[in-house]
Amino acid sequence: MPGDNPIRRDAFLYLAAQAGLDTNSPHLDELFPYVQSILSSIRSLDDIEVGISDPDMAFNPSPEDK
Amino acid sequence: MDGLELCYLSAGELSRLIKNQDVSPVEIIDAHLARIGETDTTLNSFITLLPEQAKAAARRAESEIQAGDYRGPLHGVPVGLKDLFNTGGVRTTSGSRIFDTFIPDHDCTVAARFQQAGAILLGKLNMHPFAYGPTGENADYGHMHNPWNPELITGGSSGGSGSATAGGQCTITMGSDTGGSVRIPAALCGIVGLKPTYGLVSRHGLTPLSWSLDHPGPMVRTVEDAALVMNAIAGHDPNDVASSREAIPDYTTALTGDVRGLKIGVPREFFEAPLDPEVAAAVQQAIGQLEDLGAIVTEVSFPLFQHAQAISGTILMAEAAAYHRDLLAKEGDKLYPPVRIRLEAGLFITAIDYLKAQQARSVFNHETLQLLTDVDLLLGPTEPVTAPPILAELVQAGEQTIGTTAALTQYTRPYNITGGPAISVPCGFSESGMPIGLQLAGKPFDELIVLRAAHAYEQATNWRTRRPPI
Repeated sequence: MPGDNPIRRDAFLYLAAQAGLDTNSPHLDELFPYVQSILSSIRSLDDIEVGISDPDMAFNPSPEDK
Repeated sequence: MDGLELCYLSAGELSRLIKNQDVSPVEIIDAHLARIGETDTTLNSFITLLPEQAKAAARRAESEIQAGDYRGPLHGVPVGLKDLFNTGGVRTTSGSRIFDTFIPDHDCTVAARFQQAGAILLGKLNMHPFAYGPTGENADYGHMHNPWNPELITGGSSGGSGSATAGGQCTITMGSDTGGSVRIPAALCGIVGLKPTYGLVSRHGLTPLSWSLDHPGPMVRTVEDAALVMNAIAGHDPNDVASSREAIPDYTTALTGDVRGLKIGVPREFFEAPLDPEVAAAVQQAIGQLEDLGAIVTEVSFPLFQHAQAISGTILMAEAAAYHRDLLAKEGDKLYPPVRIRLEAGLFITAIDYLKAQQARSVFNHETLQLLTDVDLLLGPTEPVTAPPILAELVQAGEQTIGTTAALTQYTRPYNITGGPAISVPCGFSESGMPIGLQLAGKPFDELIVLRAAHAYEQATNWRTRRPPI
């Protein structure tokens, strides 16, 4: 979903309800543009060439721990 | 020795006096409680102060030492813990009134290890709520204030730890560092802050912000004290799933003062980012001093530095939202609004983006480790600016005006991604009298090299001898 509108309002409200937020709260009018700006900003992740790298797993024990 | 002098001695200096019974832990605790009484209405470092408990512990320590049962360098030394370190029988708020009456039934591992070492808990320290912010704001318990200028921020999230140590209220404090929360207040308050390697210091019993980025670490006034604290708290803990089994050295063996031949890389990208010229000049001067001491300093390139915010921010938001999801649904309206909105935004990070960020973290770590095969350490500013005013949303960094949060985490986040050790040591003051920090970072488990370089630089300068005007 690249671009200036990374999430539609109906999708935002659906996900907010799934997460247990009160979708009737006026607070969501403040949250929606903030979420849009955050989701736009993390699109720079797409500029990183990750190839076939495995995700980092911070909790993996080091070899001597196995 | 008068009380104020006692309050500004390092743990190393205090320990030598205590061991020789030249000073009693009772005198030390009394002096610190008096200092807190004089200064905390201004600084607001403490959420919970424990005067009676601390006095009783000091009397016990005095008796033990008089009886020949000296436990080591932290015996009788005052310690303060950021208020997300669980303390059995003492409330632990995580900086939020929601947990104003939460009293854990047991100590976190770090608190237990301090107690074993004979350190004396003075109280629980103020913090950015849930550790989610780099400034030291707290509407519930009051904002934290910088001892060098109380109109300015301490930095955060471990802001009370920064102000208490810099203000002579506490000899040793502990913070936790997820995006810079030990090093940011250390730099802005003019003290030493060490983020140890991930897994070296147990996270057991700490309120998480981000499981894979959280690092507990000491905030002290000298590099020697950082080494002494690490000797007491580092080491495997079966209660922490990420705890390392790496052998623990005596960290004080790093304090040789010798950096001859040490290879230090300075990423050019650090100086292309928004940066206050006064900070840049102080760091350049520190580079010259390290060269004079015999270090070999070279310019290096760290291309992925520009992506640190996106990688770290995505992981942090997703993990923080996952941990606090129930709280957001049930009591979100009681949270400090800027923290609430950051936590809620994490609910909208997809699993795909979270895993993309973790893949990018692997690539980022590979690049950083490659850099650290050519050099022993990476060096740069800890912060691009000195402390801004409390609640300032924007800061001026050189010719650029940028958001305060992005600015304050600009140089610290890379080493939460890698998990390697990073330390901030004072390297100067601005014309307005505010401290500037130098950051040195190494490979995972290379604390000895990081401490060695930081100590040699510290000993070659006199920044540690300055005291804030409060």
